[in-house]
Amino acid sequence: MVDRFSPCVLRIVRFILLITFIGFGDPAIAQYTGYSAVADVPSFRKRFNEESLKIESISSNFTQEKILSALTEKITSSGKFSFKRSNKVRIEYLKPFVYLMVLNGDKMLIRDEQKESRINVKANRLFQQVNRIMVDCVQGTILDSKDFSSKVFEDRNTYLLEMTPASKTLREFFQTIVLVVDKKDYSAISIVMNEPAGDKTTITFTDKKLNLQLSDAVFAL
Amino acid sequence: MRFLPSSLVLVLLMGCASDYRHLQAVGPDPTCTDKIAPLYITTSWYNASVDVVGKHLSGLLLIKNMPDSSKRVVFTNEVGVTFFDFGFAGQGDFKVYNVVSQLNRKAVIATLRKDFELILCLPFRNRLYDRFVAGDEVYFGVKQKSETAYFITSKDCASLQRLEWGTARKRMVSITTPGSGYPSPETIALVHLNFDMQIKLTRIQRE
Repeated sequence: MVDRFSPCVLRIVRFILLITFIGFGDPAIAQYTGYSAVADVPSFRKRFNEESLKIESISSNFTQEKILSALTEKITSSGKFSFKRSNKVRIEYLKPFVYLMVLNGDKMLIRDEQKESRINVKANRLFQQVNRIMVDCVQGTILDSKDFSSKVFEDRNTYLLEMTPASKTLREFFQTIVLVVDKKDYSAISIVMNEPAGDKTTITFTDKKLNLQLSDAVFAL
Repeated sequence: MRFLPSSLVLVLLMGCASDYRHLQAVGPDPTCTDKIAPLYITTSWYNASVDVVGKHLSGLLLIKNMPDSSKRVVFTNEVGVTFFDFGFAGQGDFKVYNVVSQLNRKAVIATLRKDFELILCLPFRNRLYDRFVAGDEVYFGVKQKSETAYFITSKDCASLQRLEWGTARKRMVSITTPGSGYPSPETIALVHLNFDMQIKLTRIQRE
């Protein structure tokens, strides 16, 4: 009886092995519906770097959604985002709270509703790493970062970069960071920060304007 | 000079004097406590500002009443990274669901636990209070191990003045709620009176 069904069983086993090897077994692909792995990552990396270099500045609005999965709670905030090559980022939360963060080279300004602080990020490794992530995400150098191992996927209109932190410090805060990039201009559409406990924060950029003249005063510390 | 020893004794005695020496025990007042006792806090997000010995930290704090009647307190920074997630259940059960390594110190967690127990009004849930009067205020106390949690009202029970943690002799922590009070305080100002630490929470109006 067993012998009679062996060829059939073998065919099923072969089919399972086949779909495993062509990618259906990759949990990352299963997670990103509609996306497939980019076959030639080195060539994508080169193109990503080249195209990102054409972005001198970004000015956009953003919406941030923090989801606490175990508590079925979320909070949505919004504000304005500005980037100027190189190493200048301004993130200004306007609703429902006011909070400003300006990164300019190795310096950082943080202004909340109570206090204003200036930080030398070089003196704080965690700030330095977080600073680096933000700048690398928007200026297209995240794939060169030694802080992460990366996987790249694509669908028709976007690339999806899944970055897994290499260092213990970053792994404490992030399980993965997922950056979605527009194929048209290689600018960031969204950044998702997945935390080890299952919570996640999604920042989505809207009304994006590339290569406007942005004054350095926007990034003054 | 000959007054120095007696002055010193006086200063030492004043230093040892209990902050609660003026309290006079009186009988219960269920009419007042039924009206004003802070028994819980509603689920809310707060804009949080923490100052500890010269260091400043800000972020968002969620106070959440869970369906099983436990409470969760989650503190994240503005960008969304979670700093801690604590759970408070009945009978003094406490659980650390998540805490970043920088805050994962026994003393830090113990301090935050006590602070949030008072903010959440957990000591007052059993509705059994010792009542004291002191000047224009009335203290309702619940003894918990070596400390007592108080909620303090005006003499006429018209308003809740503040909450306190105190030992037998010293005020340790004071909470005021300028604006609307419990169960949905707009602002919570917590001050440690024995060391330099303040927590200020401002309720976020979600759209």
